[in-house]
Amino acid sequence: MSNENYVIYEEELEHINRILMKLLKGAEAKCVLLVDKDGYLVTRQGFTHSLDTTALAALLAGSFASTKEIARLVGEPEFSVLFHQGKKDHIHISLVGERTILVVIFDDRTTIGMVRLYAKEMGAELLTILSGVNKTKKTAPKGLDSQFTASAESRLDDLFHE
Amino acid sequence: MVTINYASREISCKIVFYGPGLSGKTTNLQYVHKKVPTQTRGELISLATDTDRTLFFDFLPINLGTIQGFSTRFQLYTVPGQVYYNATRKLVLRGVDGLVFVGDSQLSKMDENVESLNNLMENLKEYGYKLEELPLVIQYNKRDLENVASLEELEKIINTYGCPYFEAVAVKGVGVFDTLKMICKLVMAKIQKQAGVAPEPTVERQVAVPAVESGLSSGLSPLSQERKKLEPTEVVKYPDVDRKSFEQENEGKREKEPVFSSSKEFGEKTEVLREDKPEGFQTTAQSSQIPEIKPLQTSDAKVTKSKHTESKAFETNVSETTLRGAKSLEMDTKKKAEEVKKIWPEFSGLKVIRDTPRAQAKKRKKRFFLFRWFKKSKKS
Repeated sequence: MSNENYVIYEEELEHINRILMKLLKGAEAKCVLLVDKDGYLVTRQGFTHSLDTTALAALLAGSFASTKEIARLVGEPEFSVLFHQGKKDHIHISLVGERTILVVIFDDRTTIGMVRLYAKEMGAELLTILSGVNKTKKTAPKGLDSQFTASAESRLDDLFHE
Repeated sequence: MVTINYASREISCKIVFYGPGLSGKTTNLQYVHKKVPTQTRGELISLATDTDRTLFFDFLPINLGTIQGFSTRFQLYTVPGQVYYNATRKLVLRGVDGLVFVGDSQLSKMDENVESLNNLMENLKEYGYKLEELPLVIQYNKRDLENVASLEELEKIINTYGCPYFEAVAVKGVGVFDTLKMICKLVMAKIQKQAGVAPEPTVERQVAVPAVESGLSSGLSPLSQERKKLEPTEVVKYPDVDRKSFEQENEGKREKEPVFSSSKEFGEKTEVLREDKPEGFQTTAQSSQIPEIKPLQTSDAKVTKSKHTESKAFETNVSETTLRGAKSLEMDTKKKAEEVKKIWPEFSGLKVIRDTPRAQAKKRKKRFFLFRWFKKSKKS
C-alpha cells in the first residue's frame, strides 16, 4: 500500500462529484459516499444530511477491511463487492482502485441490479481520476504555512483543558 | 496517512490508542468524549462485546476547527486489547498518523505490556511503518492503584525509544488530555514537516470554495452541488468579451449562423416576450449575460467560427425557444379573436378566458419543468 499522503485538489474532486451525481441519478440511489480505506470520507453526494458520515465512513472502512481479512482466510485476495440488505435501505459497497471504496445507499425505489451496473461503470471512471490523483500528488507542491503548528497548538491548549 | 483535502480544505489525521487488554484505552476516549464540548466532537462509536470489551474499535472524531483555513480533524481510534483479536487490531492500524501506547502500570501486567508493544511493532511492520518514525506517546495508566511499578522501571521496560510519557488515571481523567495534546502536537508537527512550507498551489481555487460551504464536512450540500453543476461554465469563462467590440472586429467575416438563419423576426419577438415574462418563470443566467439579442447580421464574407460565438448562439436559441413555448397559448387566443372579428366586426363578446389562479400556477410549474428539461438536454 501507499504510504504517501493523500492530497485531493478541487479540480479532481469536482470531477469525482460529477461522476457520483451521475451514479446517483442513474441508479436512483439515496446517497453515494466515496471513502478512503483508512476510514476518511473523501466526498459524498445525495441525501446525507441525516447521516453521520464521518462515523459511517470509519465503520464502512472497518467493515471492508474485516471482509478483506475474511477473504484472505478463505483464500481470496479480496472481495471487491459487498452488499448489505436491510428492510428498507440497502448498501452496496465496491472497491475502486487500491484505496478507495464506493458506497451506494439505496432503497426499494431502485434495484440492486441497477446499482451494481452503475457502480461498476462509474467505478471504472472514478478509477481513471483517482489514479490521476496519485500521479499528481507526487509532483504537486503542497504547502502549509509555517505558523500552522503554532496555531494548532494554541487551539489544542484551548480545547483540551480540564 | 494524513489526508489533505484542498478542495474542502480539510486535514484529517488518525490517532490510534494501542495497548494490552483492560489497560484503559476506551476509558481514555470516553473521558475525552465526556469533557470536550459537543460542537467539537462527534459521537463515540464503540464496537464492543456485551462485557464492554472492544471487539473491533472505538471511534471518536474531534474537530479542532479551522486552522489557517484548514478544517482540522483528529480521528481517535482504539484497538481491541485481547491477544486473540489481533486480526482486527491490525486493521485499525491501517493509515495511522500517531500512536498512543496505553500501558498498565500494575506489576502483574508488565508482561502483557511488553507483549502488546512487540505486537504493535509486528503489525506496523506489515504495513511498512516503523515505530520509531511514527509519533508515539506513552501513557502509564492506573497510577492510583496499589502494587504498581515505579516510573523508572516502566521507562526502562516500555519506553525504549525515549518517547514523551505521561502518568495517568484514565477513569478520573488525570493525564488524559496531556497525552492527547502531546500526540496531537506531534502529529501536527509531522504534517507540517511533510507538507513543507511551499506556497499553496491552489490559491486561486481558494476563492472558489466559500468558507461556509467548506465547513460542511467534505461535501457541499447536495443542493448547492447541483446548483454549482448547473452554473454556466462557458459563459463565465468569457464574461469580459464585449459583444459590440467583438462584432466590430469580426464584421464582414461572420458567417450566416444556421441557428438564426430562419428566425430574423424571431429575435424581435423574443424582445417583446421577455418584457412580460410570467412570474416564477426564470430566465437563465446565460440569457442575462448576453447583452441583447439583435436581428442577425448577415454578410457574404468569409467564415470565422470561434467557440465563443457558437456557444452563445446556441444558448440564445434555447432561451428563445423556451419562451416561445411558454407564451404560445396566449398568442393563439389573441389570434383567434382577431380572426373572428374579421368575419363579424360587430362581435365584441369574445373574451379571453383566464385560467383560475390554481391552473395558472400549474401551468407555471409545467413551464418551469419544461425549461429545466431544456437545460438538461442542452447539458447532455
